[in-house]
Amino acid sequence: MASDTRLRLVPVGDGADADELLGQVARGDSAAFAALYDALGSAVYGLARHVVRDPSRAEDITQEVFLDVWRKASGFDSSRGKAKTWVMTIAHRRAVDAVRRSESHKRQDHHGAPDVISHDQPGDALIAAEEHSAVRDCLKTLTDLQLESVQLAYFNGYSYVEVAKLLDKPLPTIKTRMRDGLIRLRDCMKGTR
Amino acid sequence: MTTDVHLLSGAYALDAVGEEESAAFRTHLEDCHSCRTEVAEFRRAAASLGASKAGHPPAHLRPRILTAADRLPQMPPTVTDLHSREDRRRPAWLPRLVAAAAAVAVVGGGASYVLQRGEPDTTLAAPVSQVFKAPDAHTKAVTTARGTVVVATSPSLGKMALDTDQLKSPPQGRVYQMWATEGADGPMTSVGFLTDPAKGAAMEMPEEGVEVAITIEPVGGSTTPTGEKLVSLVPSQV
Repeated sequence: MASDTRLRLVPVGDGADADELLGQVARGDSAAFAALYDALGSAVYGLARHVVRDPSRAEDITQEVFLDVWRKASGFDSSRGKAKTWVMTIAHRRAVDAVRRSESHKRQDHHGAPDVISHDQPGDALIAAEEHSAVRDCLKTLTDLQLESVQLAYFNGYSYVEVAKLLDKPLPTIKTRMRDGLIRLRDCMKGTR
Repeated sequence: MTTDVHLLSGAYALDAVGEEESAAFRTHLEDCHSCRTEVAEFRRAAASLGASKAGHPPAHLRPRILTAADRLPQMPPTVTDLHSREDRRRPAWLPRLVAAAAAVAVVGGGASYVLQRGEPDTTLAAPVSQVFKAPDAHTKAVTTARGTVVVATSPSLGKMALDTDQLKSPPQGRVYQMWATEGADGPMTSVGFLTDPAKGAAMEMPEEGVEVAITIEPVGGSTTPTGEKLVSLVPSQV
């Protein structure tokens, strides 16, 4: 059937051509920009949604991130890392900035709230990407404290000082746990790539 | 490198280090190749963590973003990689000075961009007049103790510009310095100097809630303002 080719699913998880696309975006290629959005839009939106919770705020952040990417594409240096990492780093910073700005008062009341280690909410239409399960498996290699420290920082936007206070641990302990946690995650992810 | 500093790489890659400590760590990074590699690897691992939460964005977002990008000019390539490193150091809300006056310098080391000549019919630098000429430009004149400043904002360009042509030259040994502040009373961060008021200044549109102020400072600039605000602008109210 002729339509088979058109309907073939393209894996979006690893952002393999994102580097090439970003290079084209830097030269003003709108079609490449659209393709880059198709490749990484769900990762950016999903992260923003997870961090800020509010769907419409997550949309705004996604837009800010991609406009940043569009504007600053020429500043991306492929010798220093992957395009996907670059985009996700921008996305994370934007999302965390937003949550720190808007919820600095609110969230004081939520310290230790049960959603701190959040799990996907049903009905969220989350994509079960291959990477998703790889990350999940790799997160199992972390100790509880490493996992908690990394997640509180990355998904809740807490500084390591705040995490230390929240978990009632000394600062050097938390610093070390975050680093050790990322070392384990990095090494485990390497094995899956 | 001390072991203690090195331990910060994890928290740093998670964006979980306060501004002051981050700045110190970045200084350390410049001289520590292995630390840079480690942070890059951690960021990649963190990106996977983030991507594991992928979720379908609503369908209307795609055309919205593509249309907005279509109207947005791209930044020229940065000249040295120091600039792109600086770029990551700046708080997201801090407006960025775009090629304006010929000798724009930014205290604390910021980005400087390709310089452009002013158009023949105006003393304003090209990026400044570009904002004033944008079809959707909003302008507002503000009277200050040293003359009128005209502000223009253009949502389509995502830029804000100041026409400071009517501003008196700063007193001997002094310079106009621009600042951004989150809210009227937040800490003030240097955006750059108004080296040549006749050329004006242009910057990326500050984030919501960020005000832009001008003070008079000793030549060389200050890291925090020592003079009173000559003018304080709320971009969204232009």
